Amino acid sequence: MRPTWRQLAGHGVLFAAILLLPLVISDFRASQFAYVGVFAIALIGLSILTGYTGQISLGHGGFMAIGAYVTAILSVNYGVYDLLTVPLGGIAAGIVGFLFGFPALRLAGVYLALATFALAVIVPSLATALGDRTGGTAGILLELPTSPIGALSPDKWLYYVTWAIAIVLFAAATIFVRGRRGRALRAVRENEIAAVSAGVSLTRYKTLAFGVSAFYAGVAGSLYAILNFIVAPGTFPITLSILLLAGLVVGGAASFVGVLAGAAFVQFVPLYAGDVVGRLTGIGDRIGLPGGGFDPTTPGVPSVVYGVILLAVLWLAPRGAAGLAQRLGRILRIS
Amino acid sequence: MSRRVFVLVATLAAVCTFSVTAASAAPAGQTANPTGTPAPLRASAPGVTARNVIIGTTLPLSGPASLYARIGTGMRSYLSYINARRARDGSRGVYGRQIILNVYDDQYNEALTVQQTRRAVEADRVFAMLGGLGTENQQAVRGYMNQRKVPQLYVSTGLSEFGSLHRQYPWTIGWQPDYVQEGILLGRYVRQNLPNAKVAVLRQNDDYGREFLQGFLAGAGGGFVVATETYPRNGGAAVIPGPVSRLRASGADTFLVIATPTEAVTALVTAFRIGWRPNKLVNSVAATTTFMGLAQQSAGSPEAVNGVVTTTYLKDCNSPAYENDARVRMYKAIMARYAPGQPATDCLFFYGMAKADTFVQALYRAGRNPTRASMMNAVRNLQMPSPWLIPGARVITTPRSAFPIRHQKLARYNNGNFTEFGTLQRTR
Amino acid sequence: MSEFLQQLVFGLAIGGVYGSLALALVLIYRTTRVVNFAQGEMAMFTTFIAWSLIENHGFSFWPAFFVTLGIAFLLGVGVERLVIRNFEHSSHLTVILVTIALFVIFNGAAGWIWSPEQRAFLGPFSAAPFDVGGVAIARQDVGVIAVTLLTVALLWAFFRFTKLGLAMRAAAVGPEPSRLLGVRVGWMFAMGWGFAAVLGAVSGMMVAPIVFLSPTMMQAALIYAFAAAVLGGIESPLGAVLGGLLLGVGTTLLGAYVDVVTPELELPIAFVVLVLVLLFRPAGLLGRVVVRRV
Repeated sequence: MRPTWRQLAGHGVLFAAILLLPLVISDFRASQFAYVGVFAIALIGLSILTGYTGQISLGHGGFMAIGAYVTAILSVNYGVYDLLTVPLGGIAAGIVGFLFGFPALRLAGVYLALATFALAVIVPSLATALGDRTGGTAGILLELPTSPIGALSPDKWLYYVTWAIAIVLFAAATIFVRGRRGRALRAVRENEIAAVSAGVSLTRYKTLAFGVSAFYAGVAGSLYAILNFIVAPGTFPITLSILLLAGLVVGGAASFVGVLAGAAFVQFVPLYAGDVVGRLTGIGDRIGLPGGGFDPTTPGVPSVVYGVILLAVLWLAPRGAAGLAQRLGRILRIS
Repeated sequence: MSRRVFVLVATLAAVCTFSVTAASAAPAGQTANPTGTPAPLRASAPGVTARNVIIGTTLPLSGPASLYARIGTGMRSYLSYINARRARDGSRGVYGRQIILNVYDDQYNEALTVQQTRRAVEADRVFAMLGGLGTENQQAVRGYMNQRKVPQLYVSTGLSEFGSLHRQYPWTIGWQPDYVQEGILLGRYVRQNLPNAKVAVLRQNDDYGREFLQGFLAGAGGGFVVATETYPRNGGAAVIPGPVSRLRASGADTFLVIATPTEAVTALVTAFRIGWRPNKLVNSVAATTTFMGLAQQSAGSPEAVNGVVTTTYLKDCNSPAYENDARVRMYKAIMARYAPGQPATDCLFFYGMAKADTFVQALYRAGRNPTRASMMNAVRNLQMPSPWLIPGARVITTPRSAFPIRHQKLARYNNGNFTEFGTLQRTR
Repeated sequence: MSEFLQQLVFGLAIGGVYGSLALALVLIYRTTRVVNFAQGEMAMFTTFIAWSLIENHGFSFWPAFFVTLGIAFLLGVGVERLVIRNFEHSSHLTVILVTIALFVIFNGAAGWIWSPEQRAFLGPFSAAPFDVGGVAIARQDVGVIAVTLLTVALLWAFFRFTKLGLAMRAAAVGPEPSRLLGVRVGWMFAMGWGFAAVLGAVSGMMVAPIVFLSPTMMQAALIYAFAAAVLGGIESPLGAVLGGLLLGVGTTLLGAYVDVVTPELELPIAFVVLVLVLLFRPAGLLGRVVVRRV
């Protein structure tokens, strides 16, 4: 079924907002929203894998790291223009993901989750071990961002680049899951045995999903490297992979709004969780609550706040057995 | 979907609103009073208003390195003291301005250091960043800070390039004696006191470990090191016993440990357990009374740690030798008043206070209405005695040499305390 | 040769650490089908409680040990009833994320309450090592392995011979049919968490003397513990312990004798081996392959 006029109009308004936002915000905020765009790309990819074929990946941070290192190495050591390296980072990650899909075929559920977890842990370790190319623990420092358009600051330029890529890749994803392929992917998730009896090649679709999903994460990682100008083993810890999964559940998969919400969650919660406590205790002090003098920079407090926020958000996500893919199908209404 | 997204967006909006701090005040336009009374305070730079100076720092408040958040508590406590006491000119704070320190959690992740630093500089408009922790973390933001001409002051890491690259990065400076200096001092010790030593080295596999060893070799000369083993950063206690056993097998009689605290303690305990009794040299980060005590408890014998030699540059906040020292007494009083409930026996707090004091002295010299440039100028020319350093040491910073602290002494651990010995040495 | 034996001993020692934590992971999975990422942090948290009983309330080791086990049981039951139960109809993915949120909370809370400082935690064994032909064997390391194997035996007996054990296994394998038979499935799950928390507490208190008590003490081990559990067969307690020992010995010996294996590569290699094993024995070394029902 075609998308309804209402859906098209809704998306149109959203895209217009994205286009116009930099006119009214500062450079710093623009860079923050560019990060949101980066995570949106990663989440679109993750949703293809987890939302469609139901394979849980705790390793997407690892794929992002691959893309980031490709960009860092090519642009710093070989002088390639940084934006050109983005598709290359995606492809490199995509190949690794595709290859990973083969052993993944034999693993299911918890075993697969652990194998992907292993990936997220291994990539930074490898980066440290191959110190000569990758800068070891210190990592690689990229050039500070610049803008080829005089009228745009580097942050706003990167904002537009990131969101343009995000929108294009989102459109590509919706086309990718259209029609027979989408049904096949969802069939894999719902009931593998039935899918096989219907002639769906598990091998092809599962590995394809992994490869495509990893490609998206690699693109996101490359853009992240450019925005952040540092790539080191410590910049993609396992907590990032976990945060991406959380963003997926929280945002509700590949409707554009859901992806946006999830990406905003991934970007803003780590940065501001600690602050929430500071503000609350500040308010508490002013209105005379007991427990004044509590130091919000006590180690451990930001973690507790973050964990509680995560629990609360997971709880608010709709309960029930409805699969993510079912919601996807209803919202996108593509096939 | 819509209810959930609404709640999510509302939550995020609330979080972001909570986090928006007040923008800095618009600069006033007053000029200095011509009759000779002190010039009125005005907003002379981002982060500086007539009432406040706002600075920032990035520290790990979560994760394995979160112990170092105590540096922030130390800095803050000292600044609270400065803000409350009356200086010689009768004003509180510095020239009457309160100093506010914003602490940003970077979770020891360089990517977050970049983002939090940008937030501090661009959204919260801090005057300068002080004492940011982490070698790689501060390396990540160095280019950015210098591009924006924002002072990156007294970073909490000993990598020597924070001093040696001052021409390339004039807005950046370190503070403590760097790792090369530490290595040199221990190297000199071995050359002079253990001329026939066979040295086995356990070092962390990164720039810190490499530099320290480099300094040691420079101070000792050739022919001492017979075996080296490395371990990966964040490897944890588990990765230590294997390498230590191999080092013993090399027949060395002196053990140089260049490691972070957990690993260093495990190395000492393992060495003891497998019956190895070498001369022990341990880098200063790990050689504190707390960690020596840990090792002793774990190994079950004081022999595991007695005789450990290390370097020191600050007065030991725990040592009986400094019990009646005015600065140490002041330290304990400030801790009791502004950080009650925190263990003042951890000299990380003392380190934070000493650093904050250096900053305050530099801030005075930056003028009544400081700018970032005048601040950096004051920092790069700061020469003064400091009652926080070991007696005889001074802060020496010149435009040619950006290593504020360059005096150290050796210290030896015995039965619960480190005791300084030897002469004060200048290592740069 | 004695150097080789010494390295072997180190490998077994660290393997014991992995195996004991893996045991708790296996228990929770077996009784509730949940992969509990917070297992290590709960173990650490309860060990801090034991520490506090000893340091601040004057308990000696064994009384503190048993009181802590009781507290751990209540903590596990409490977490299941108050938190996990709210997610019983959620997807697999959500439950995993919930346990991760718990990981973060327990980790932060420990750092907040007791500060991130490292502390010595003295176990019941003296620190002097056994000396066997020039090879030093720490008593604590032997203690970890012995206690862990004892626990495996107790668990096996429990599941095999007691009614409660049978009920718990039934609740995990088939909640609906079990309900029909009168098994109170919810409380079976809660007890699964409770017992796993007890195992975790045992693991923590055995391990803390070796790795030093701190909020991050279980984190490095957690990854290896997962690998060990999967390697041994995620439903097999004995497999978990054996998997842990194998991993410990394997990584230590590889690191000691194969030059190419720098310490950074130990973890990646462990995982590559794990994935390879899974390719040929998908249910792990001691696991039973579950036939998919159509």
